[in-house]
Amino acid sequence: MGLAQVRTLDQIKRSGEIRIGTEGEFPPFNYFDQKNQLTGFEIDLGNALAKRLGLKPVWITQAFDSLLIQLNQGRFDFVIASHGITEERAKAVDFTNPHYCTGGVIVSKRGGPKTAKDLQGKVVGVQIGTTYMEAAQKIPGIKQVRTYQKDPDALQDLLAGRLDAWITDRFVAKEAIKERKLENTLQVGELVFQERVAMAVAKGNKSLLQALNQALADLMKDGTYAQISKQWFGEDVRCK
Amino acid sequence: MPLWLRIPLLLALLIGGYFGLFALLGVALERYFLLMGFGPERAASAGAAMALGAEITLKLTLISSLAGLVIGVFAGMFRLSRRLWVQLPASFYIWVTRGTPLLVQILFAYNALPLLLQPLWPAAQQVLTPYWAAFIALSFNVGAYNAEVVRAGIQAIPKGQWEAAWSLGLTPADTMRFVILPQALRIVVPPLVNNVVALLKDSSLASVIALTELALSGQRIISATFRPVEVYLAVAAIYLLLTTILTFFTNLLEKRLQVATR
Repeated sequence: MGLAQVRTLDQIKRSGEIRIGTEGEFPPFNYFDQKNQLTGFEIDLGNALAKRLGLKPVWITQAFDSLLIQLNQGRFDFVIASHGITEERAKAVDFTNPHYCTGGVIVSKRGGPKTAKDLQGKVVGVQIGTTYMEAAQKIPGIKQVRTYQKDPDALQDLLAGRLDAWITDRFVAKEAIKERKLENTLQVGELVFQERVAMAVAKGNKSLLQALNQALADLMKDGTYAQISKQWFGEDVRCK
Repeated sequence: MPLWLRIPLLLALLIGGYFGLFALLGVALERYFLLMGFGPERAASAGAAMALGAEITLKLTLISSLAGLVIGVFAGMFRLSRRLWVQLPASFYIWVTRGTPLLVQILFAYNALPLLLQPLWPAAQQVLTPYWAAFIALSFNVGAYNAEVVRAGIQAIPKGQWEAAWSLGLTPADTMRFVILPQALRIVVPPLVNNVVALLKDSSLASVIALTELALSGQRIISATFRPVEVYLAVAAIYLLLTTILTFFTNLLEKRLQVATR
């Protein structure tokens, strides 16, 4: 539809507020914490970016699979919700430089499959619409890839023995194991694929894209990025 | 007790009960989550978040069913009109609404309607927040089902009633207003109540447009805690509680409206 109200950087600056879209259900990147406040690595980073641009951040949470669509409709100015850069997504929106790098890992019960090779003839669970789903479907020899609305649903089926393995983001796996104290039940296997994760702006919104890239580079240079990253992961997660 | 005292007292009781219910629910949920092994801070926030979600669910259901009642009564009457320009739009509305899934209607109201309205109403996207988009979709949805109920109710009134009213010199509109509708509405109370209870449960579909009602507030807690079993149990129990309370009140209403001769 050509009626979209996508705002350029000038229009955003005039309003003084930048609207940021995210999912709010993806710990530790963006989620609602114990005080029911939106928090996470990406929220801190988004706030830092807004501050750098001299703008007040306004957060809007939406379902993951509709974030990019609504971005192009102008419901928010940019999206920061752990979108791995893929060709198909890049056709719909413009990605910034990656704001972190991660990978998909195999999670299974102790003694279960650990490598992609082990997955032959096995049933694997993934969250729908994610890059992990695409990656899992490409591993040869897998018996079945089951898709779930949310990662916790896949984890539950893994614990119930209905899945042999669960493929998800390595930080999500870490967080889930820590949160549910499953260190003695589950194991984290090998990285199945690497992924570059970026923010997105509406297709063709060049002025905003450049401003975000500049602000991100500044934060990476002046140590702000490293500090936020260490606080959430104990390591610097920028792409090397 | 005199009437002037009874009505404010009843209202105060209702409002107090409404807020008391959700405060109590928050505390009960906190206890439950503590029992299930959540940390104290997480249990408190999860209890509060789900009580708030339950309140949004109930409020949304109440206002949508009121709007749906008005829509349903008019659409039901219009559907029986002999004038085609009155009857056709009502039939069309009922046909489209009953023939498409509510999930699609909610997604449409939130994602497509603002874009379609934009030429006429530029602020549509700001105004149609998840809450109001869900309200529109739910009230129009239940309105279509109510319309068919109302139509059946009107048709259930014996033809002799019409003829008697006309022979007394009442116009068709007056016959409808003073003779047919009052009788028909009594007949249709049970099926209308059924629609409201169904609506309360259907409102959970609004979670797809990120309206933080009961279902989504539960899902958010699950994403942070990775504990679907405990949380979904609580979500289901609260829906059951809300529908039970709703039917308690509507049962009272039904009793009051019962026709003595039946």
